[in-house]
Amino acid sequence: MNMQFITIFRALLFILLALALCSVIFVIAGFSAVELFESIIDGAFLRNGAMKHALRWAAPLFITSIGVIISFRAGYFNIGAQGQFYIGAIFAAFTAEWLNGAPAFVVIPACFIAGATGGALWALWPGLLRLKSGADEVITTLMGNFLASLILIYVTGGPLKDPSGSGQQASSRPLDEAYRLGNSYELSPTIIMIALSLGLFMWVIANRTTFGVVSGLAGRNATMVEWQGTKLLRVGLASFLISGGLAGIAGTVELMGPNGRLAAGFLPAHGFTAILIALVANLSIAGAAIAALFFGGLASAALYIPVMSGLPASAIEIINAAIALFITAKSKFLDKLFSLGRAKWKK
Amino acid sequence: MVKSDNNIFECNNITVSFGSVHALQNVSVAFERGKIHAVVGQNGAGKTTFARVVAGLIQPSTGKILVNNKQMLGGDVKQARAAGVELVHQSFALPPSFTVAEAMQFGASNGKIYSRRGLEKFWQKHLDNLGVNVKSKQKIKDLPVETLQAVEIARALISDAKFLILDEPTAVLSPETTDKLFERVRQLKQSGVTIILVLHKLKEVLKIADTVTVLRGGKLVQSPISCENIDVKKLSAMIIGENASQNLANSNRAAPSVAIKPDTALDIKQLSTIKDVEGAALTDVNLTIAAGEIVGVAGIEGNGQRTLVRAIADMVGIKSGEIYLNDQNMTQMSHLERRSNGLRIIPFERNVEGLSLSSPLWENWSIRNYLQRPIFSLIKPKEDRKACNTNLKKWNVHYSNVDQLAGSLSGGNAQKVILSREMDDEAKLIIAAQPTRGLDIGATDFVWKSLRKARDNGCGILFISSDLDELFDISDRVIVFLSGQLVGEFMPPFDIKKIGAAMIEADL
Repeated sequence: MNMQFITIFRALLFILLALALCSVIFVIAGFSAVELFESIIDGAFLRNGAMKHALRWAAPLFITSIGVIISFRAGYFNIGAQGQFYIGAIFAAFTAEWLNGAPAFVVIPACFIAGATGGALWALWPGLLRLKSGADEVITTLMGNFLASLILIYVTGGPLKDPSGSGQQASSRPLDEAYRLGNSYELSPTIIMIALSLGLFMWVIANRTTFGVVSGLAGRNATMVEWQGTKLLRVGLASFLISGGLAGIAGTVELMGPNGRLAAGFLPAHGFTAILIALVANLSIAGAAIAALFFGGLASAALYIPVMSGLPASAIEIINAAIALFITAKSKFLDKLFSLGRAKWKK
Repeated sequence: MVKSDNNIFECNNITVSFGSVHALQNVSVAFERGKIHAVVGQNGAGKTTFARVVAGLIQPSTGKILVNNKQMLGGDVKQARAAGVELVHQSFALPPSFTVAEAMQFGASNGKIYSRRGLEKFWQKHLDNLGVNVKSKQKIKDLPVETLQAVEIARALISDAKFLILDEPTAVLSPETTDKLFERVRQLKQSGVTIILVLHKLKEVLKIADTVTVLRGGKLVQSPISCENIDVKKLSAMIIGENASQNLANSNRAAPSVAIKPDTALDIKQLSTIKDVEGAALTDVNLTIAAGEIVGVAGIEGNGQRTLVRAIADMVGIKSGEIYLNDQNMTQMSHLERRSNGLRIIPFERNVEGLSLSSPLWENWSIRNYLQRPIFSLIKPKEDRKACNTNLKKWNVHYSNVDQLAGSLSGGNAQKVILSREMDDEAKLIIAAQPTRGLDIGATDFVWKSLRKARDNGCGILFISSDLDELFDISDRVIVFLSGQLVGEFMPPFDIKKIGAAMIEADL
């Protein structure tokens, strides 16, 4: 059987299993599962303009998830995409504030460079700790997420605080219209272009460069790569930096696109959904594009469900969590089923 | 075998097979009660397998086991334990974060509730009785290795063991602590415990044991031999096998077909390394390999052969000394730079160090070239797949396509993939570490032929093997490592007795 087919089949099966589990939960909670799924599908893909909304959410998720894929492929479980996303957005916001008044063709690229740098820096220290002293990156990047959230609260309530802000949530001064890549009503073609070209670029990095092959081999068997003569430091650090940089770019996209300002605790589950996308896609960049659309659809449905059927928006979070549960919990039975497809060539 | 009440352990015609390999073949042994019995043999002679059969960890495919004249099921640890048999493993199995008391309780746990202080007091008493100098509050990870072993032995004695098996207990110990261990073993003997020691060094055997049992290639050579009537010379001949040395004398070994060129492939001067994580440190090693020469490395495993390879590969810290490849000083160079100057390595562990089993063949094959390029250089996978395909075909690898995972190949084919990667035309020095381990005769022959061919093309080859017959067959010169030092250098015709004696530190 074709490996790609198995991968897709596997992902679909996990999602279906997750949805089945969710319907049981919803029915027990007293909702109609059928009605809920109808409104999710409607809200995610069928309703007028739903695809646009799905794409709006899918684009930044996709960018972050390819970063996650790069580090996971190299064998580093950087789960700090959320923190790197925040720090990237903060760096971009400071740059926009600092260059305020300069022409857009200067400010926008500068913000992207700053965002990528911020995200990369927030992945650099867990990377160094891991590669130099063996500190588990799962712990450090997770801690990094909490730190980044607190820094975001400080920044939005301190240095970048919008003095005219009257809302309860602290936020920064809105970006000048000239610097925006899109708004929250319309889908921005610029952002889609950025996501697609980053996807293509990273596909080349992962599949058509020495780094792609070597980091993939190191992720599966680091000992072998060491015996081939490489110290893992460079490949490892590059993976961390690329991973963080992409999350930082996603943060910049959110800031300069739909959000237009920094708000404390914005998109709190972004990084984790990106990890989910990477896993559902089985660390394939093309697969991540499709998976990002699916999860983007779910995110857009989350806004629609309460309006349509009076059901809670958190239903989407339950679905996400259930998918995560099935993707991460390796079932012996399923693995056996899939391994049937992997023919052996013993001679 | 005569039945005797005096025997604590008997086994008749035990055979253990792993696949088509016989680890033990028709072994019959009896051990007398209250004595110290040594079991000796080369690597792969079946010593550890034998120890594990006795302890009930492995079920023999045929044969009978009697403990205290009671028939055992075989492969049943609980039953063996109930009969008083305990095994102390070669590598320690104590959880590092536990205290000594916790680790002891872990082995003896019977579901009751204890207080920490009660536990510590209880086990302290047990340890004191055995004369183990340790506080039961101490963490396992803080203990020196000899204390760790003492704790491990004390743990085996929790359940009133009458029959204790120690698998290579001296492998991790320094000479002084070995004496301490032997003192402890003698005390145990006096208190009525029967002890089996699996040992490597013959001097130690003669120092401690009452009888010795010799295994070779999974078969019993002789047992029991009283230690009073034997010396190191006779014993080493039994271990290595008279036949092997005779065969060798008769085999018309091809002398190096090309005249050895004057240039050297490898020159190591006064090399000392720090202690490696996985083996003895090297002390003052001097070694020269000429281009077009195969130098065989003999020695019991763990005596510095691995450290030597890792030092040549820049994987272990060097304290002093210099390494030259092709007359070029490489001491300060990285592994990659050394490789670009012609160093190639066929590593010890094919499936871990040699290949990434869950990656496609072409990636495994291309990595050596990729690592010589800048980290983000573009590649052409199509061409690399093709090149890989051509090369693997040339090396007679059986596979269906280059996208196949390396793990789907058999051992011999996997080794051929490594050979085809490491034995290219630019190779100047090839380190072949256990290249035939676990291979069948056909694949082994292939590896030998390839090494000879590389030699004839002017490569220097460092060949490490624990199979002496193979070493003698292939090498132009054999060196012997013991405890990180080069203790002997032998030219053909090889005298197996002398080399064997050097390996086990026996003076002949």
